Amino acid sequence: MTLIDNLKQYAETSHLSKESQELFGEFISKGFPTIKDEEWKYTSLKKIISESYTLHYSANKNTFKDFEKYFLGFKNKIVFLDGKLVSSSNIKGVTISDYTSFKNLSNHSSLDFLNASLSKNGFTISVDENIQIEEPIEILFLNTTENIFSQYRNCISIGKNSNVKFIEQNKNVSDLNSLSNNFTQINCAENSNVEFNKIQNDTARSKLIDTLNVYQKSDSVCTVNTVIFGGLFIRNNLNFEQNGQNAESNMNGITLLTKNQFVDNHTFVDHKNANCRSNELYKGIYLDKSKGVFNGKIMVRKDSQKIDAFQANNSLLLNNDASINSKPQLEIYADDVKCSHGCTIGQLDSESLFYLRSRGVSLEEAKGLLTFAFASEAIQNISIAELRSLVQKTMSNKLNVDIEL
Amino acid sequence: MENKQQQEERLLEEVTSSEYKYGFTTNIESDTIPKGLSEDVVRLISKKKNEPDWMLEYRLKAYNVWLTMEEPDWANISYKKPNYQDIIYYAAPKTKPVLNSLDELDPEMKKTFDKLGISIDEQKRLANVAVDVVMDSVSVATTFKETLKEKGIIFCSISDAIKDYPDLVKKYLGTVVPNRDNFFSALNSAVFSDGSFCYIPKGVKCPMELSTYFRINESGTGQFERTLLIADEGSQVSYLEGCTAPMRDENQLHAAVVELIALDNADIKYSTVQNWYPGDKNGNGGVFNFVTKRGVCHNNAKISWTQVETGSAVTWKYPSCILKGDNSIGEFFSVAVTNNRQQADTGTKMIHLGKNTKSTIIAKGISAGKSDGNYRGLVKIVKGASNSRNFSQCDSLLMGDKCGSHTFPYIEVNNDSSQVEHEATTSKIGEDQLFYCNQRGIGTEEAIALIVNGYCKDVLNQLPMEFAVEAQKLLEISLEGSVG
Repeated sequence: MTLIDNLKQYAETSHLSKESQELFGEFISKGFPTIKDEEWKYTSLKKIISESYTLHYSANKNTFKDFEKYFLGFKNKIVFLDGKLVSSSNIKGVTISDYTSFKNLSNHSSLDFLNASLSKNGFTISVDENIQIEEPIEILFLNTTENIFSQYRNCISIGKNSNVKFIEQNKNVSDLNSLSNNFTQINCAENSNVEFNKIQNDTARSKLIDTLNVYQKSDSVCTVNTVIFGGLFIRNNLNFEQNGQNAESNMNGITLLTKNQFVDNHTFVDHKNANCRSNELYKGIYLDKSKGVFNGKIMVRKDSQKIDAFQANNSLLLNNDASINSKPQLEIYADDVKCSHGCTIGQLDSESLFYLRSRGVSLEEAKGLLTFAFASEAIQNISIAELRSLVQKTMSNKLNVDIEL
Repeated sequence: MENKQQQEERLLEEVTSSEYKYGFTTNIESDTIPKGLSEDVVRLISKKKNEPDWMLEYRLKAYNVWLTMEEPDWANISYKKPNYQDIIYYAAPKTKPVLNSLDELDPEMKKTFDKLGISIDEQKRLANVAVDVVMDSVSVATTFKETLKEKGIIFCSISDAIKDYPDLVKKYLGTVVPNRDNFFSALNSAVFSDGSFCYIPKGVKCPMELSTYFRINESGTGQFERTLLIADEGSQVSYLEGCTAPMRDENQLHAAVVELIALDNADIKYSTVQNWYPGDKNGNGGVFNFVTKRGVCHNNAKISWTQVETGSAVTWKYPSCILKGDNSIGEFFSVAVTNNRQQADTGTKMIHLGKNTKSTIIAKGISAGKSDGNYRGLVKIVKGASNSRNFSQCDSLLMGDKCGSHTFPYIEVNNDSSQVEHEATTSKIGEDQLFYCNQRGIGTEEAIALIVNGYCKDVLNQLPMEFAVEAQKLLEISLEGSVG
C-alpha cells in the first residue's frame, strides 16, 4: 500500500463531514505534486509517498513529564503528544485550545486540501489586544508512533498592539519513520509584533512538509526564523500576505545539513499594499551528500508603491556530492519600488583559511570559524538569547568543532 | 502651465503614438505557396530550393517530430496562439537575381535597403561590413563574398551552403539545436527557407564584421530562417544581425534557429539588434519572435551574445551557451526594452560542463507603457565542472505604473569548487537623478535618455561600433518621453 491508499481507506472508514469529503475529493483529483509542477521542480515526493503509513496514533502511557529533555526550558509551553494537547501554560491575555475548525485555504495546493480535509489535531491561540509577553511561548509536537502520517492544523491570532514570541519544534522521541504535513496560520492585527521561530532538528528518518501562512494588517511586524538541522526531508512553505500599509515581514533561514539530508525552502511575500517592507536572509551550509532547494518569490502588486523588498540567499557547498538549486524570483507590477535579490553559491575563501592557519589555527577549526561567521549574520536576527546559543551549540556539534563564542 | 502630471501624460501619449519607422512594404513580386503546413508543403519547399535528398529527409523528420509536440506555455507571456495552418511558409522575391555586383539588384529592392538605412554600396565602401540580406526568409544579397573567399571564409546563404558545402552542413546542422529540442525549433527545421551560413577556417581572424539583415515583407507569411556559424580551431569572428518588418495589423510569426559552433580556441561574438514591428499601442499586430539560439564552446573557446531587443509584440528568446570544453567562456549581454503592450520573456542559459569554465550574464530590462518584461535564466553547473565561475546581474528599470518587470533565475550547482553569484534589482529612475540633471539645464527627456544610456552602458559597450550607434538611437526612440 502507498500513502494515497492509506488516505483513501482512512477517509472511507472515518465519518467525515460533507465539507471534509469535498475537500478530500479535491485533493484526490489533484493528487500529490510531482516534479512537473513548477513549485516542486527540484523536490520529488515520489519515494516518500510510495511508502505505507498509519494514520492512527498508537496508545501510550507516557506523560509529557517523560519527555522533559526535549523542552528548551521556557516557562510558557504548549505540548502535543501523539496528537493530543497534554500541557498548556496559563498565560495572561492568551487563550489556548486544542480545537481547530477553520477550513479556509491559502493557496489551493493539493497538500493544502489534504490538510484541511483530514487533519484532526492542532491548536488555536488567541492573544488579546495590548498584551506584551517577554518570555517566548514554546510549542512542541512530540511523536512516539512508528510510521505515522500526521497533520496538525494551527491558528494563531494576535490582537492589536500585542507583542509575542514563539518557538516551534517537531520531535520524534526515538528514531522513528514519520511524515508530517502541517499547516499553521498567523493573523497579525494592527501594530502587532510577532516573532515565530521554527527549530527543525528531528531524527534521521523524519520527513516534514510545513506550511506557514502569515496575514498581516497595517503597521504589524512579523519575523519568521527557520533553523534547519535536519530530519531526512524538509519542505517549508512560508507565505506572507500584507493586507495593510506599513507592514514589515522578515524572514531568516539558517540551514546546516549533512549526510543525505534534503531541504526545500519556499518563501513568498505578497506586497498587496503600499509603503511596506520585507527582508529575507537565507544562509545554507551543505556538507556530505545533502541537497538544498531555495525558491524565494517577491510579488509587488499594482499600485503597491514605495515598497522596499530585499532578499539574499547565500549557500556554502562544502562537498562535491552536495548540491543546491536556487530560484530567486521577482514579480513587480508597481514602479516606485526598491527591490533586489542576491544569490551566491560558493566555498570558504581559501585566503581567509590561509590567514587563520598561518596564525596557528588548525584547518578544521579554521573551517569551523569561517562557517560560523558565514551563518552568524542570520543567527543575530534571532532575538531570543537562549535560542541563539542553542543554535550555535547545535551547529558546532554538527560541524564537529569546539568553538566557544 | 501644465503641471507635472499632465506633462507626463502628454509625453507618454507622444511615445505611444510614435510611429514605427520601418513599417513600409516593398512592391516586389513574390513567389508564395498556398497557406498551411503539411508534408507536401515541406516537400514543396525542399523542391523549390533544389535541395538534395538528405536535406528533405532532415526536414520530414523534423516535421514528424513537430506534429507530436505541443506549443510551450510556461513563459510568462500571453498571446493568441498562431494558427499554423494559416501561415504561408514560403515567400521569396520572384526573380531571384544572381548577383555579381550590386548594380544588378532589383531597383525596388535597392530602394528598400536604402530606406532601411543599409545602403549596401555605401557600407561596402565605408563600413567594411559584409552583409547577407534575407528578405522573407530568402537570402537576396551577399556582399564581399569574393574578399572573404581569399581568406578561406565561407559566408553565404544556407541554401547555397547545402548545395556547395554539404559535408560541413551535414556535420553540424542540428547538432547544437536538435529537431526535438522544442516546438519552434522543430517547426523551423521542417520549413526553414533560408538563412546564413558561415565557416571560418582554422586560425583565421575574420577581417570584417559579418552581418545578416532580416526582413519580413509579404503579408501572412512566417519567417523561418536558419543560421549556422562554425568557427574552426583558433579562429575569430564577429557577427551582426538586424531585423525589421512592415506594419500589419495581423501577427506575423518569426521562428528562427541560430546555431554557433566554437571549436578549440575559437572566439565568436554574436550581436543582435532586434527591431521587428512591435504592434500598435493597443497591441494589435506585431511580430511573434520565438527564437532558439544556442552555441557550443569547445576547449578554450568563447562565445559572446549581445542583444538589444526593442521590437516584437511577443519575444521568447534565450540565447544560450553550452560550455562543453575546459576553460571555455560564455557571455550574455542584453538590453530588452518593452513599451505599449509588448511582452518579452528573454534571458539565457549557461550550461557548465567543462572544468574552469566561466560565464557572465548582464541583463538590463526596461519596461514602459503597459508592457511586461521578464528575465528568465538558467545557470547550471554539473558535478564534473570544477572551478567554474558564474556572475549574473539582472536589473530592471520601470517607467510608469502600468508596466511589469519580473525575474526568474534558476541556479543549479552540483559542485563544491564552483562559485556562482547572482544579483538583481528593480527600480525606477530616481527623482533625485532627474532633479540633478534638470538643475544643470538638461531637459527631463534628455536626462532620461542620458540615464537610460548610462544604465545600458555595460551592454552597449559590447556592441560593434555601427550597431552601438543604432542601438542608442533605437533606445531613444523606444523610450522617448516615458517619464516614470
